[in-house]
Amino acid sequence: MTTTPITGTPPSPAPATELVTVTVDGKTQQFPKGTVLLEACNQMGAGVPFFCYHPGLTSPAVCRQCLVDVKGQPKPVPSCYTPVADKMEVMTKSPRALDVRRQMLEFTLVNHPIDCPICDKAGECLLQKHYFDWDAKLARNDGIKVKKAKVVDIGPRIVLDQERCILCTRCIRVCDEVAKTHQLEMADRGDHEVLTTAPGHQLDNPYSLNTVDVCPVGALTSKDFRFAMRAWELYTTPSICPGCATGCNIEVHHSHGKIQRLIPRQNDQVNEHWMCDEGRLTYKRVHAQRLAAPMSGGVPVDWDRALDDAGRALRVALDAGPAQVGVVMNAQSTNEDLYALARLTFDHLGLGKVYLAGLDQGWSDDILVSADKNPNTAGAMAIGAGRLRTLLDLANDLKSGAVTTLLVVGTHGVIGKDGAPGALPLDRLTTLVVVGTHRDEVTAAAKVALPLAEWAESDGTFTNRLGMVQRVRAAVPPAGDSLPGWEILSHLARKLGATMEFTEAKTVFAEAKQKLPFMKDAEWGRPLLPVQLRFAGSRG
Amino acid sequence: MAVGVKVVNRPGSLAQQAYLPAIAEGLGVTFRHFVKNFFGNVTGNRKKTDIATMEYPEEKMKYPERNRGLHRLMLRDDGQVRCVACMMCPTVCPAHCITIVPEEAPDGRIEKRPMIFEIDELRCVVCGLCVEACPCDAIRMDTLDHAKPTYRRVDAILDKEELMSRGIQSTAVQGGVGAFWRERVGGQPQTPPAGAVVPAGAPHGPTPLRDHGHK
Ligand code: SF4
Ligand code: SF4
Ligand code: SF4
Ligand code: SF4
Ligand code: FES
Repeated sequence: MTTTPITGTPPSPAPATELVTVTVDGKTQQFPKGTVLLEACNQMGAGVPFFCYHPGLTSPAVCRQCLVDVKGQPKPVPSCYTPVADKMEVMTKSPRALDVRRQMLEFTLVNHPIDCPICDKAGECLLQKHYFDWDAKLARNDGIKVKKAKVVDIGPRIVLDQERCILCTRCIRVCDEVAKTHQLEMADRGDHEVLTTAPGHQLDNPYSLNTVDVCPVGALTSKDFRFAMRAWELYTTPSICPGCATGCNIEVHHSHGKIQRLIPRQNDQVNEHWMCDEGRLTYKRVHAQRLAAPMSGGVPVDWDRALDDAGRALRVALDAGPAQVGVVMNAQSTNEDLYALARLTFDHLGLGKVYLAGLDQGWSDDILVSADKNPNTAGAMAIGAGRLRTLLDLANDLKSGAVTTLLVVGTHGVIGKDGAPGALPLDRLTTLVVVGTHRDEVTAAAKVALPLAEWAESDGTFTNRLGMVQRVRAAVPPAGDSLPGWEILSHLARKLGATMEFTEAKTVFAEAKQKLPFMKDAEWGRPLLPVQLRFAGSRG
Repeated sequence: MAVGVKVVNRPGSLAQQAYLPAIAEGLGVTFRHFVKNFFGNVTGNRKKTDIATMEYPEEKMKYPERNRGLHRLMLRDDGQVRCVACMMCPTVCPAHCITIVPEEAPDGRIEKRPMIFEIDELRCVVCGLCVEACPCDAIRMDTLDHAKPTYRRVDAILDKEELMSRGIQSTAVQGGVGAFWRERVGGQPQTPPAGAVVPAGAPHGPTPLRDHGHK
């Protein structure tokens, strides 16, 4: 979404790709029949402004900001509502088109409070952008502005400012068309028209924060992000939401090494323009209760010492009997971490008792949210190739004493929220070595605990429920001394006498791509530096 | 080749060539100033002396009104901080010396205010850009004062309370309360005052959106 605010891909044109020829400002190009004229104009660089149009929603043509002149038409037409036709001749910058658009902008601004200094949208606001692009004149309006309600609490996650609302109805359509619930409405008429919640409702659907993204102005603000940062202070890194198996494409917005918010990134095959509210909060865990330093015997030590201790403990156990050594993989890990772990356990150490952990199942719907709350279950299953056992098996093996030494890589969901079914008698173990992200029961019980980088701190790939291998990028530096999983496992392998020399995540990926059929077509993508939003134009 | 020497014949009387009269003349000037400054100062008649040196700290330089000195945060009518934590000043500050942590203000008409507002006067390059950037007349450098020398670096970081302690009420009326600005300035609504900077005429056309570099 952010990448394509104006020159977006058209909302999948009619399947029959009949082409029509359109002339925009003297330039001629062919478009599939059914393409929205606004998209056609903007793909040709006309930069026609708009407020109410959104490529992922229906067009009501209420804002009239997208008016252009079409040859043969008596009046300017709303380009967001007009499909292209053959031999159409469009003038986006004719004096009349410029004039009507400027008048519409002035009309939109009549009662606008111009709160920019305290408005969270400032810097990525379409109203600001269109004003500077197309008008940039002093106000002619001398009247007293109509006052409306500010800071209206309309739901658990969102605050409304009725004065800033430009009545574009995008938010209403997000609720109706994406979340499929009618929670927002317009009330009153004319100058006094306001956005409000539908009678008996509040804005609390599981996709409500998408309204904040699509709102072209700062009328809807997210309580979580409110006043945290100005938009231009943020850097953006593309990534994948770790919240569930859907694998929505997201942008991680971060600043000073801290994630500030997650927003959806357009991918028509996965999440189109949207993501769920729960997914947006997955960044919180990156900055809470992290295991920052390697621990050995409950005290922080340096990496060398911790790796020595971990290697020695595992060596002793392996020499005593490899059959009693178990390994826990995690469906929250990237394919690269899982591949490195699989190579170490299956190929080098020849271990058989490998278990798959992950967060418990949760709610789901048929919009985006999957019941599987792990982003990489598909990858883990494919890499495990039928050799993985469940946590229930692990619990039984621990109780029966079949496993006395355990290496856990990734502790998410190893001990379930409610204790069952993952309730593991970890105290039965003689040796527990943990590579984990957080300070939790598992790392606390460990003989040696090695700090693992979180999803947003390391490069890699996730495989979603459709089997698509999608790239995750490191957005923020790892917490404390933590390292990516494949790197820790390479060091550990060396201590155990195995050779597994990976130098960067990309080499792990390249090797996994050759060995694993499901990653055959995966792409690593080109290297990217985080882009500062200050230089990246508006969103909304 | 021999080095050519050109003899310059300086014209001059015997008195000039002897130097002594010129020395005496110079000493005379020195002595005259000495007498003037010495007795002028003793009598306290500063104007009559030629001394350019200021007798600091008894005497202090008078700064021009627009001097950029120590920062201060301006106050609202009710004594609260005027700043709305819009982050313009930390954004523009070339020395990155302003730290603001915003918070939600309990007064819904104000909405946003700084919880923490700190300026590191050691890092400040006294450029005044923060004052220029502020849309609210909330920060000023017109205290005609200097950053005080400190023993510890942390003491040079001024916090919100300290910055506000020098603050005064702004002349700007707050929150649209009070007379409409055009009535107050008595100006003509349609024509901006002479010399006002009017943004260049429209349309500029769209500013190209920079691709984030990724899809
Ligand atoms: S709140 Fe935002 S998205 Fe909703 S109608 Fe108003 S301007 Fe449009
Ligand atoms: S549906 Fe799943 S992947 Fe998508 S945003 Fe929500 S939690 Fe993330
Ligand atoms: S005067 Fe310049 S350097 Fe000092 S705080 Fe203001 S903007 Fe920063
Ligand atoms: S520019 Fe002014 S209002 Fe904005 S943060 Fe700085 S002092 Fe506060
Ligand atoms: S964008 Fe076309 S009418 Fe609003």
